[in-house]
Amino acid sequence: MAKKFTLATKRLAPTTRGLALTAATAVLLLTTAAMAQTEVRFTHSITGGSSRAALDAIIADFEAANPDIKIKEIVFDDDQYSNQGLITQLKSNEVPDIFFEWAGYPVQRDVAAGYAYDLSEAMAADGWKDSFSPAVWTDGAGTMVDGKPYLVPLSLDLTNTIWYNKKIFAEHNLTPPKTWDEFVALTKTLADAGETPIVEGNNEFWPLGNWAGHIAAMVVPPDEYVAAFKQEAKFDTPAFEKALNLLVDLHNVGAFNKDMQALGADPAMATFFQEGAVMHPIGSWLVSETGNLADEGFEYGQFNTPTIDPAHPLANSVIGTITGLVVHKNAPHAAEAIKFLKFLTSEPSQVKWAESGQMSPVQGVSDKAKLDEQTEAMLALMSSASAIVPPPDNKYPVPVAEAFYQAAAFAASGEKNAKDALVWLDETLAAMGKQ
Amino acid sequence: MQDRSAPISTGAANLLFAAPAMLLFATFVLLPLGASVYYAFTFWDGFSAPRWAGLANFIRALTDTTFLMSFVHVVLYIAATLVFEVTFGLVMAVLLNSDRRGFSLMRGMFFAPVVLSMSAAGVLWKFVLDYRTGLLNSTLRSVGLGDWAQPWLAQPETALLFICIVSGWKYAGFYMVIFFAALRRIPRNLYEAARLDGANGVQQFTAITLPMLKQNVIVCILLAVTGGFAGFDLFFTMTNGQPFGATEVPATWIIKQAFDQNQIGYGVALTVVLTLVVSLISIGYLKISERGNVTRY
Repeated sequence: MAKKFTLATKRLAPTTRGLALTAATAVLLLTTAAMAQTEVRFTHSITGGSSRAALDAIIADFEAANPDIKIKEIVFDDDQYSNQGLITQLKSNEVPDIFFEWAGYPVQRDVAAGYAYDLSEAMAADGWKDSFSPAVWTDGAGTMVDGKPYLVPLSLDLTNTIWYNKKIFAEHNLTPPKTWDEFVALTKTLADAGETPIVEGNNEFWPLGNWAGHIAAMVVPPDEYVAAFKQEAKFDTPAFEKALNLLVDLHNVGAFNKDMQALGADPAMATFFQEGAVMHPIGSWLVSETGNLADEGFEYGQFNTPTIDPAHPLANSVIGTITGLVVHKNAPHAAEAIKFLKFLTSEPSQVKWAESGQMSPVQGVSDKAKLDEQTEAMLALMSSASAIVPPPDNKYPVPVAEAFYQAAAFAASGEKNAKDALVWLDETLAAMGKQ
Repeated sequence: MQDRSAPISTGAANLLFAAPAMLLFATFVLLPLGASVYYAFTFWDGFSAPRWAGLANFIRALTDTTFLMSFVHVVLYIAATLVFEVTFGLVMAVLLNSDRRGFSLMRGMFFAPVVLSMSAAGVLWKFVLDYRTGLLNSTLRSVGLGDWAQPWLAQPETALLFICIVSGWKYAGFYMVIFFAALRRIPRNLYEAARLDGANGVQQFTAITLPMLKQNVIVCILLAVTGGFAGFDLFFTMTNGQPFGATEVPATWIIKQAFDQNQIGYGVALTVVLTLVVSLISIGYLKISERGNVTRY
């Protein structure tokens, strides 16, 4: 082979030889530049939609401004990421420098296991910490452990709100309900008219589970709610039974799609955008999928879970969480990773991020960005809420939250009545032991 | 001439030759197996360090109704595979055992689903069985049978049945090929003699074909049983154990416990239990089938 190459080279015309030399020099220079670059490994679960496009654009800006740093994205589907993708990477010999995480219990777990970098020093420099909304550094926000910041907030997520099709609401002369009774009546009107009032893709339990967690938080006394999820008290109480009975009421008026337990979260969202159902309870991430899934002119809005008990301290709460990025404690390039995160959370980058349909945690961004109508409405909803309730699987041990989600699914699908679902839940948790 | 009765030498030099294979076996089989058994006795979420749990995971497994029911589902699934895959494959092999024109094409078409990956087949059939837009329900609605349209994969009474049917569609061709190859080895003169004696088709099948295929049937049943216990991809892609555990099999439940719920210690304990069950069944089945093969003089 080498001999053939030599012969061929000899036959090259002078011009061709010059071109070959130039190309070889260019390759050499590029290779040298690539070798000098620091590669920051960044793993996350933002697979598509307008937010992925915005993130890629921000990364491109960063790389242009910092030619010595290359950001390598390692992307997983949301469920894959939280189930196997992250853990596999954290355990590997080649750990990511930056990883996506949910605030609350997951951050505590990462810190306890020694995966999270203490960002106290970095946050104190250049007023980085102060550039964020003060609310993200409160005790309940789940970004800090023992007063030290570990999660760089990237988005405020509304975990559940009820999206609705404006056109179909108008056809039936309906307006967003204020109370739960109005909501049930509205749902019945739609069901009687032959519509599928609510589409839920509950194949993995969390979509309905998150909503059920919020409903329970709005009904059950807060102490009782926390004690049950901490396995310090039983779920089988009149208050939790009342909460699950609200789902039974919805089932009884024909609220849910018949294939709720077979449908995945993404197909359910697609069903909503295809006008296969009138309402879809899911989180704020629906907005960034609109461009991919909705037809031109599709009009939709959202309303919070209506008031159930006006006297309850969380009657006007929303369910939400913070998502963000953690620097790995053993990151090979921690300094470069922090440099990138500062760029990502800088105002110009966050304006792009917010305009992709995300709620930015950085101060002043919402005023400067040209926000989508839906994003503005969600921000208004969050700012007017009396409290933000975290989703159970972000606040409490996942197996406990999952068991509660399944009990909620039993009630919503009519598989068990509320009492039996709660008895099943307590028995399941007893067999599971303290988590 | 070499004395065949002499024992094989077991000297150190021979061990040296076997060492690479033994080292690989120890590294990739024994070590992970030992580690798995260790983790089964720990509380481990995969993130933090494991904590010793003693027998707690195994005691929990015995009271885990979903796990116990998953064995019932897998037994039902295996029973269905014996009908939809092994029996149907055998019937098709017999019916298509001909050199007439078009039969090889039909055998090829019947075998075609085997080359699809199980996950792809699961996703494909999930589309077909979708309640709102699936081919099956759309067809029913288009012929005026809209009331018959059902959420097939969301109902406990139909979900497992459809998984069994899809599994049959996927694998019957595989068993057909095994039986077809065996059928070709049965001497034709046996059938000619039987026909001369006045045996009809059914009698030829029961008196010649089945006994001559006995070994193949045993192997196919073993494959179906062990494959059934290892079944995961079709269940995962079509229903993920839903609705409410009605299609939960040990493998899907283990994955959920270990990864979805970050209880890797418990998940490994369930795997150990599953391994023991499958090993016992396989050993028992092989013993029984071997006993049946002993020729007594």
